[in-house]
Amino acid sequence: MSNHGTSRPRTSSPRGPSASRRAVLGGAGAGLTAAGLSACSGFSTGSSGSGESGGGGGTEQLTMLTWAGDAEAKAFKALADGFTAQGGPPVKVQVVPYSEILTAVDTGLRTDNPPDLFRVSYTDVGAYRTQKVLADLPDAATLEPSFLPAFWSAVTDDAGTFGVPHHTDTSMVLVNTAAVASAGLGPLPTTLDTAWSWEQFADAVGRVQPSRADTYALAVNWQKAGAYRWLNFVDQAGGRLLSEDLTSAATDDAGALKALTYTRDFFRKGLVPQASSTRGQPASDFFTNQTVAMCFAGDFLLEEIEGAGFEYTATFLPRDVNASADLGGNALVAVDASPRKAQALEFLTYCAQAQQMGEFCSTATVLPTRKDVDPASLTYAVRPDLLPLYVQQATTIREQLVDQVVVPAFSAVNAQLRDRLDEVFLGSAEDAAALAQITDAVQSVLTR
Amino acid sequence: MSAVATAPRPPVRRRAPDVRRWVTSYVMLAPALVLFGVFVLYPLVGAVRISLTNSSGIGQATFVGLGNYRTLLSDGVFWKAALNTVLLAVVSVPVSVGIGLGLALLLRDRLPGRGLFRALFLAPYVISGVVVAMTGRWIFDENVGIVDRALTGLGLPAPAWQSSAPAAAVSVVLVLLWARTGLVVVLYLSALQGVDGDVLEAAELDGTSPWQRLRFVLWPLMRPTTFFVTVLMVIETFQVFDIVWVMTGGGPAGGTELLVTYAYGQGFSARREGYGSAIGVVVFVVVLVSTVLWWRMQRESEEDA
Repeated sequence: MSNHGTSRPRTSSPRGPSASRRAVLGGAGAGLTAAGLSACSGFSTGSSGSGESGGGGGTEQLTMLTWAGDAEAKAFKALADGFTAQGGPPVKVQVVPYSEILTAVDTGLRTDNPPDLFRVSYTDVGAYRTQKVLADLPDAATLEPSFLPAFWSAVTDDAGTFGVPHHTDTSMVLVNTAAVASAGLGPLPTTLDTAWSWEQFADAVGRVQPSRADTYALAVNWQKAGAYRWLNFVDQAGGRLLSEDLTSAATDDAGALKALTYTRDFFRKGLVPQASSTRGQPASDFFTNQTVAMCFAGDFLLEEIEGAGFEYTATFLPRDVNASADLGGNALVAVDASPRKAQALEFLTYCAQAQQMGEFCSTATVLPTRKDVDPASLTYAVRPDLLPLYVQQATTIREQLVDQVVVPAFSAVNAQLRDRLDEVFLGSAEDAAALAQITDAVQSVLTR
Repeated sequence: MSAVATAPRPPVRRRAPDVRRWVTSYVMLAPALVLFGVFVLYPLVGAVRISLTNSSGIGQATFVGLGNYRTLLSDGVFWKAALNTVLLAVVSVPVSVGIGLGLALLLRDRLPGRGLFRALFLAPYVISGVVVAMTGRWIFDENVGIVDRALTGLGLPAPAWQSSAPAAAVSVVLVLLWARTGLVVVLYLSALQGVDGDVLEAAELDGTSPWQRLRFVLWPLMRPTTFFVTVLMVIETFQVFDIVWVMTGGGPAGGTELLVTYAYGQGFSARREGYGSAIGVVVFVVVLVSTVLWWRMQRESEEDA
């Protein structure tokens, strides 16, 4: 051991290796250069080649901030090009990651440099609407009759209509064909009228025998920001999370209690993976790696699931007192403070036309929100056999549920749902106490 | 001779070099000070300001004074996250330091492939935390993970890493140790290189055992490094976000919720920016006070020695 110390140079400090001043200066220079280069090239918004479309660059160019997969980016570019071809100004479609969209929009608003338009989920519209950020749609009265009421109400309040419901998506039950066939479930419901009741669904889930000890029958898509999809069950049972006037949490709601009991039974009976709770892993992951035989999934996931390498089909969400499905999809909105507000609103109106909406939905594999866009006329590239079923399911999106998920404080409500449902799904409290735990938490964020 | 030594120098001749030296120092420091001011101090002041409002991140915010801080006092999730954070620091920091020192002592020898081992230990620290967390998540997946498969194959019970709070916490600690022990190893290796070999040789000639040389010679000499490593690890523990967010999202049932994940969730997911900022300010104050206290204890300990 003694020779170890003597063999080492004695110039190094015990606190760490030393560095020459020249090396430090060189490193600092390199760091600053790198920082400068990164600032020039853009760090988070993608290159102009991959993240933007639209030409021009003149003063009248519109900027629309959105997130988009490849297919959606292509569909937005087609909208931008079509608008410009009709004499409108160029539209720059700026694509950011989904997780960055709200931060990017908020940063622009705070620095008085907002985008002219942006894409926003229905559950986030309320927060912007109440802050008077969004421009009122001038030709709302003309457009409204063409749209399905549930979606129109998601962007409308007493003060006006603040965007166009651009498309929707919703959930259905995806079923691993082989696993379900081995359970002898027989033909699956193919129309809304014949959708499984809660009892029939529970029976079907119970009959799907796992092939291994680490497999399960079902996973529900209520993870993370999808926690609000638990409200499907509440609405199906005729219950409410929020009071009729939407200002407080509904207390001791019989439907909510029934829904909580029903969904907790999935965990208590070992029908779903414990790790598929609201803070767990996405339900579609369990389905694609065949940990579960059935999962709730939105139509926008079909392209991803197609690569899993096994056969699957879809059936409708179970129904109880009501048939009900979650409000998915997004609106397009214009910023009120934009100096190009008039042109931005013209672009919204253009995107809301039947032909444009149909083309967008076909390309992006999403569902239309207009009554006069015939889903049968749309050519979907992915699972064209299942998309018509999703279209049917989307007709069960109810205004009673929509009203509750578009309140301005819904982001905070949804965060409470995620955390509290995770606790009660994995906990052992009585159902009534567990429901009180949820409603108390929701009430706490509604009163702030 | 003494008269010459104690005679005061002319003030003019002394001040000029001092001023020049100060100017030179501040010019050299200026880039760092500018970066610190823009990227640390300014956001910090901004965070304190936002924490005194009900900001949602958009539109006008209303000044609420200490309202957010009062809400924290009665927020059970906040206290649970605080307890989890402290527990994580108490468990992971000493273990990181212990394993790091042990590996550094082993790698101090001229082993074949020593450089490779150093690189392997440091690799998890220098690659993206998200990549490390994703790797950890798959390794510890309770349904398809290799750890549970191996345990089951050996006839042992398979922990529910995602749905049992204690197991989830253990998986986070293990991945955290894997991710940052490499840095501790490198820091201790650097310090060991500066140890005077004559001291160790003298101790050996005095008949000390290897353990005694470690306990009574190396450990005291490593004290400044240990202090630095401990402070660094505590600060990093209070800042751990990516690993927890990706591996567990703070779940199950809040079992791995930390102060920073809670602050992020409130500030961004729940759109309660003012409240999230208040949590961030509390984390900052706690880390600052802890560091100052630890530093004073260390200094007093050195003075006593």
